[in-house]
Amino acid sequence: MSRHTYALRAWLIQRFSAVYLAGFLAYLVIHFLIQGSHGYAEWRAWLSHPAMGIAGAGFVLALMLHGWVGVRDIILDYIPALGMRLLLLTLSGALLAASGFWALRLLLLAAG
Amino acid sequence: MPTMQNQRSAPVFLNLFRIHFPVGAVTSIAHRLSGLLLFLSFPLLVYWLDLSLRDPASYANAVEWLHCGWVRLASVFIAWSLIHHLLAGLRFLLIDLGVGVERTTARRSAWTVNGLALLLVLGYIGWIV
Repeated sequence: MSRHTYALRAWLIQRFSAVYLAGFLAYLVIHFLIQGSHGYAEWRAWLSHPAMGIAGAGFVLALMLHGWVGVRDIILDYIPALGMRLLLLTLSGALLAASGFWALRLLLLAAG
Repeated sequence: MPTMQNQRSAPVFLNLFRIHFPVGAVTSIAHRLSGLLLFLSFPLLVYWLDLSLRDPASYANAVEWLHCGWVRLASVFIAWSLIHHLLAGLRFLLIDLGVGVERTTARRSAWTVNGLALLLVLGYIGWIV
């Protein structure tokens, strides 16, 4: 795959994930405005609903892709030294993947 | 020997506080900064979600945390990041679609995004205090 195709793919991923993230965020804001505060049982029930499991997993995956493209761009733009670049790319990728899979696991556990 | 014209056109120093950025550049750099802050707060938010889902006592503890001063201060930065990133992102999406590309419109929308994000954060601060 050429560099141009890769850049176009990243550009597309960034925009499509942004639209999904914005939509889900709008749902969250509306939910909390209507619902107000939750008790533990309500909170768990809301997060363990199958629709929430699917939409929430989609949100986490979109967040991982979106965050990766964004942070990668920042590192490539501001860190010219190759070693530092690789180190930061590795660290931020690991942080994003670990947090993302942790969140997915929480959604799965809540549903199960 | 530099001529007068050369002296005038070349910047003598690049002090970030003395350089005047166009408003679109401020929106853009703040979009990056807010994205970076959101990236860094993601693990903390997942940790909070974990605590909140364990059991009723842990949930009560997680809710209690939200009232702590440091967490509220941090939440102001996270709220700004979220709002600015969302608004500036929508602006960039519209510009990608060819809406508001024209210079004066783009400048006006950049001012709107920067100002609205700060205004909404003030609202958020008023709500949590």
